[in-house]
Amino acid sequence: MSSCARALEGIRVVELGGALTNYCGKLFAELGADVILIEPPGGSDLRSQPPYADDEEGVEQSLGFFYRNTSKRSAVIDIESPSGAEVVRKLAATADMVLEDRPPGYLASVGLDPARLIEENPALVVTSITPFGQEGPYAQFAHADIVCMALGGMLWMGGYDDGPPVRAVGDQAYMAGSLFGAVSAMVALTHAEIRGEGQHVDVSVQEAVALGLENAAQYYDLECRIRRRFGGTQREAGFGVFPCADGHVFLLASGIGGNRFWANMVSWLLHEGVRGAEILEREGWGESDFMATDHAKAVFWDIFTAFAADRTKKDLYHDSQKWRVPLGPVNKPSDVLASAQLQDRGYFVDVEAFGRTIAVPGAPYKLSETPWQLGGAAPKLGEHSDEVLSEAGFGAAEIAELRREGVIR
Amino acid sequence: MTRRPLEGVRIVDFCWVGAGSYATKLLADQGADVIKIESRARLDGIRLSGPFPGGVQGVNKSGYFADRNTSKRSCTINMKTEEGQRIARDLVAGADVIANSFTPGVMERFGLGWDDVQRLNPRIVYLAMSMQGDGGPERDYLGYGLTISALVGLHGLTAIPGRLPVGTGTNYPDHIPNPCHAAFAVLAALRHVRRTGEGQYIDLAQTEATISVLGPAMLEFSVNGRDRDPIGNAHDRYAPHGVYPAAGEDRWIAIAVTSDEQFAALADTLGLPESMSRGLDEATRRERRAHIDDVIAGATACFDSVELATRLQKLGVPAAPVHDAAGVVDHDPQLAARDHWVRLPHAEMGESLYNAPPFRFSRTASELEVAAPLLGEHTVEVCREVLGMDEAEIARLTAEGVLA
Repeated sequence: MSSCARALEGIRVVELGGALTNYCGKLFAELGADVILIEPPGGSDLRSQPPYADDEEGVEQSLGFFYRNTSKRSAVIDIESPSGAEVVRKLAATADMVLEDRPPGYLASVGLDPARLIEENPALVVTSITPFGQEGPYAQFAHADIVCMALGGMLWMGGYDDGPPVRAVGDQAYMAGSLFGAVSAMVALTHAEIRGEGQHVDVSVQEAVALGLENAAQYYDLECRIRRRFGGTQREAGFGVFPCADGHVFLLASGIGGNRFWANMVSWLLHEGVRGAEILEREGWGESDFMATDHAKAVFWDIFTAFAADRTKKDLYHDSQKWRVPLGPVNKPSDVLASAQLQDRGYFVDVEAFGRTIAVPGAPYKLSETPWQLGGAAPKLGEHSDEVLSEAGFGAAEIAELRREGVIR
Repeated sequence: MTRRPLEGVRIVDFCWVGAGSYATKLLADQGADVIKIESRARLDGIRLSGPFPGGVQGVNKSGYFADRNTSKRSCTINMKTEEGQRIARDLVAGADVIANSFTPGVMERFGLGWDDVQRLNPRIVYLAMSMQGDGGPERDYLGYGLTISALVGLHGLTAIPGRLPVGTGTNYPDHIPNPCHAAFAVLAALRHVRRTGEGQYIDLAQTEATISVLGPAMLEFSVNGRDRDPIGNAHDRYAPHGVYPAAGEDRWIAIAVTSDEQFAALADTLGLPESMSRGLDEATRRERRAHIDDVIAGATACFDSVELATRLQKLGVPAAPVHDAAGVVDHDPQLAARDHWVRLPHAEMGESLYNAPPFRFSRTASELEVAAPLLGEHTVEVCREVLGMDEAEIARLTAEGVLA
């Protein structure tokens, strides 16, 4: 490991969480914080979520857990036992932040009330990422990623014009909670470091999702219009998914906020000698009222799909850029891993895990002086229990006793 | 309430359109003094993007722009002029952060590349958030959130099997993955400045920050050697799990059954045949999910989505009506109880709707207070108060079109 300075070195995070907090904890860990994941005896929730490495179920096999918990330490502590809760209180007294996603009121019920933890460690930040926030009529609702997507309004917007809304891949509601959680936690830590004043940060996943509505809430407010899904169709001519030789491309020939790229699009098709492309030069084309008509969509569809039918998504992507037309190949993960751009930038990093070397998504940002750094594979369940307790001042005999009682593992 | 945590942090903000503007907005809302540098000569395109009050366009009337630029000041500078560039350099010399979301090379042409800025101000945090980063064969490519979604795999993996991929229907990377990663990185870099006095350069590729929220899908390929297929609203483990029709036109309910008890409660509520509810464990339900989904969809279609979701929630079953914009804004008791929606006054838009930050602090303020700025609203104020110019100089620069 290099000896570069780390932006978050010296920050200690005690993470009592799972699907909602794990990515947030990872962001802290990979900029240099010491993040200790406290897991219940059966392991935190993502450990039992597929997909699994080699399709084998097991607490060390979940790829979702692995990805969100690299660079952390794991201690198994049963916080529902009084002595387990006491261990966590001691850890919280040495920490800069407690990060948690338990139902509101749960921590207080086991003797770990956030307000009390802050009283005992006045500069402590307690960041709670919960589905709906600490209070309100939904505070104790049952949740799932798709439920948060539905209540935050994003689910409605993705999906088919003639069919149901479709959930985005990859638990994006929980990701949104973790991401806004990380920003708000960092704001609170900034305040705590400068002014010595800790506090409780209450993050709502539902609200985080509502930040992803683009302009839909404002369309409703200002123009009384409800934005709908447009999947499976073009939103307007030249705006949407089109088939090509080996898959699909996403074309945005109209740009956003005007039709700035339409002339480029037409020049490209004319240059390629595409049959019928001269129609696209006629009056009306490029103007949003006309582009929104079924007629314009149908004409454009026929012209473009005939052109794209014998071209690959990769060729269309690179060619579109020569003409300054925004077009993206609809890639699969294997395409992403093979990207020349990402390879040139060294985005994926190699990690030893599951008995082989695997490529893991790397730095979401490159910091020149305090670089992002992956600090190793996700921890095994309870891998660091002893080390964490002994750092917190527990002697070998105490640790052995706690283990005998089943409080730690 | 004490002061806001980021008071005293000054950000000179060249970001435009979606992702960058949202990143600096997050910091502005927490007290940072964000000075948005704009120009009439090259408008931020989002000022021309709908919606507008009553549908009437105007550079100061975009609801899309407004929600992305709360709590900021707007200062117009024509960066094509030498004097404009000098003024910008003066601002940067006294700032804590400089941010942009241009294609690589644009800031260099303004004399504000990292090398130039570092010489001016070694303590500064320089955020560059181009689409694909500042190096590599595709660094000059153009795109938007929607094409980024396609490029990084999000769009293709979000689909009902056998149908065209749909993605989120939005420029998702602009709204959540990119602004949040950027704001977090800036705050971390500011900590490093506080501790060491050393500024730094942050190269955030919007593609890369978005792949970072798709990690497990990438690992399925790199570990198991196969591309994941889209699975619509199904779940890798839980079944039934989906979006089902409810009574009324285009009304839907999301239901996620995560235990046997929940399945029994769902079956009771919907009046499903006994054969559906008894003895079907998770693995069996997963195997028969297509059939079970059909039966559920047949039953849910008679229920109001809100009533059914409320009944299921009382039984501990994760369920929710699929809210459209009216649902989130007007009909969600939780968002209402948390005062999520805020109406702020604005000189040209009147009172209009904004999202509050999705978090609350127990001690420092987190309420939204200041609407988006008019184009150039603070130009004179910034010249006078931040740069110490006198009225005569401001008048001259205005007349010469430098402050436009």
